[in-house]
Amino acid sequence: MIRSWNALEPHLGFLLEGFALTVAACVLAVAGAVVLGALIASLRTARSRAARAVAAVYCDLFRNVPFIVQLFFFFYGLPELGIYIGAFETGVLAMSIAGGAFVADVIRAGILSIEQGVIEAARVFGLGRWQIFSRIVMPNALRVSVRPMGSVLINLVLTSSILSTITVNELTGTAKIVAATTFMPFEVYAVLLVLYAALTYALSLAVAGVHRRLNRGMPEAVA
Amino acid sequence: MIEINNVEKRFGSAEVLKRINLKVEPGEVVTILGSSGSGKSTLIRCINGLETLSGGAIRVDGNDVSTAAGLAAARRRSATVFQLFNLYPHMTVLQNVTLAPIHVLGQPRAEAETRARALLDLVGLTAQADAYPQRLSGGQRQRVGICRALAMQPRYLLLDEVTSALDPEMTGEVLDILARLAAEGTTMVFVTHEIEFARRISDRIVFLEAGELIVDMPAEAFFSEEGGLAVPRIRKFLSKMTKD
Ligand SMILES: Nc1ncnc2c1ncn2[C@@H]1O[C@H](COP(=O)(O)OP(=O)(O)OP(=O)(O)O)[C@@H](O)[C@H]1O
Ligand SMILES: [Mg+2]
Repeated sequence: MIRSWNALEPHLGFLLEGFALTVAACVLAVAGAVVLGALIASLRTARSRAARAVAAVYCDLFRNVPFIVQLFFFFYGLPELGIYIGAFETGVLAMSIAGGAFVADVIRAGILSIEQGVIEAARVFGLGRWQIFSRIVMPNALRVSVRPMGSVLINLVLTSSILSTITVNELTGTAKIVAATTFMPFEVYAVLLVLYAALTYALSLAVAGVHRRLNRGMPEAVA
Repeated sequence: MIEINNVEKRFGSAEVLKRINLKVEPGEVVTILGSSGSGKSTLIRCINGLETLSGGAIRVDGNDVSTAAGLAAARRRSATVFQLFNLYPHMTVLQNVTLAPIHVLGQPRAEAETRARALLDLVGLTAQADAYPQRLSGGQRQRVGICRALAMQPRYLLLDEVTSALDPEMTGEVLDILARLAAEGTTMVFVTHEIEFARRISDRIVFLEAGELIVDMPAEAFFSEEGGLAVPRIRKFLSKMTKD
């Protein structure tokens, strides 16, 4: 056991590089998914029927197709359209788009949970539609949706391991390589286990922090 | 002046307001009475533009609420206090009161906050400025609701059953403030079931019955034998309301 851990040591740097890439992809994709999700959620609750339809199709489409299929679609499809971006960028884009569909669903539920009277008050006091959306609707929607959004985002982090299938040497990708060269898959994947758990744990802490911040002043039962 | 001319409101086939005519002059307190479902809330919601009219017109100082520009102008001249408070739950008391003054009237934040604190002092909420609404009692919330409305320096205050979600003690807190505002000459359109209070502060009383405005009288006349009490429907309403 001790011997094998020592044998792994020269490869740790490489694994950590992969981990850094995973963290980078996840941070970008989480940000992208939240922004895109908020946008799609607002379209889903918009007045325009066309906007609502577009957003609904988006959600249904990207939630109901396996992520790996979406990833290959972008990876092989974008160059066909004359769009050349790196594998890493393609991965982040695909994760943002897929994550956005789930985030949109969660935020939409948050938007629908807002008391109509609160919005009517804002209207009566003369706030414009954009002001109501940004100052009343979104803050309240996010408040109730951060928690469920947390599980969506953790899933997104786990999904990042699939990026190894399009040549991105993130954590899972490097692990495959190290496992193959050292013949120590057990030890390698034990390291992976710890690193992924650390990453998702950090994310869940961040989500809890944001939740607490957005729910200042709320009674415990709701918060 | 708030001018309500031949206003009609239908929800589907239900005629909820039928050719309502009413004028509210600056400085007047006009109370709207009527049994449940008679259309009182709907009338208030037509004045502040939460409902679109099916017919007729409403003008607030000449601004037609049926047009976008007119409604925006009307909303700067009037402010509403709601039955269920409708405070912004994610904002502190101070933020609730200053939101519209800052973002609608364009007041500098510091000025808006100074005014807001002065209003909160007046209603005894000095210590609650930084609290969130959920931490307040119903009476305190409604006092915030009143401050939020007054912070707009409205010419007209629209109040729809602002005490009906409160227990008697809190009702007292809120009514005291409204009585003070009335005495200071604040113009109010006031929907209430507090008959005695309405009698005390109103200049005029109007009575809605199934969407029709059947009586519009000075307050003393409304409660007199020759006036309101001579109308059987009102006599019945008043005897029922004052019994419980
Ligand atoms: N959005 C709506 N859609 C359909 N019907 C409505 C709507 N709003 C109100 N109504 C109906 O209009 C009528 C008048 O309602 P309104 O709320 O104005 O009565 P009210 O006089 O305020 O009653 P209360 O004293 O109970 O508050 C009622 O019959 C009600 O059911
Ligand atoms: Mg009502």
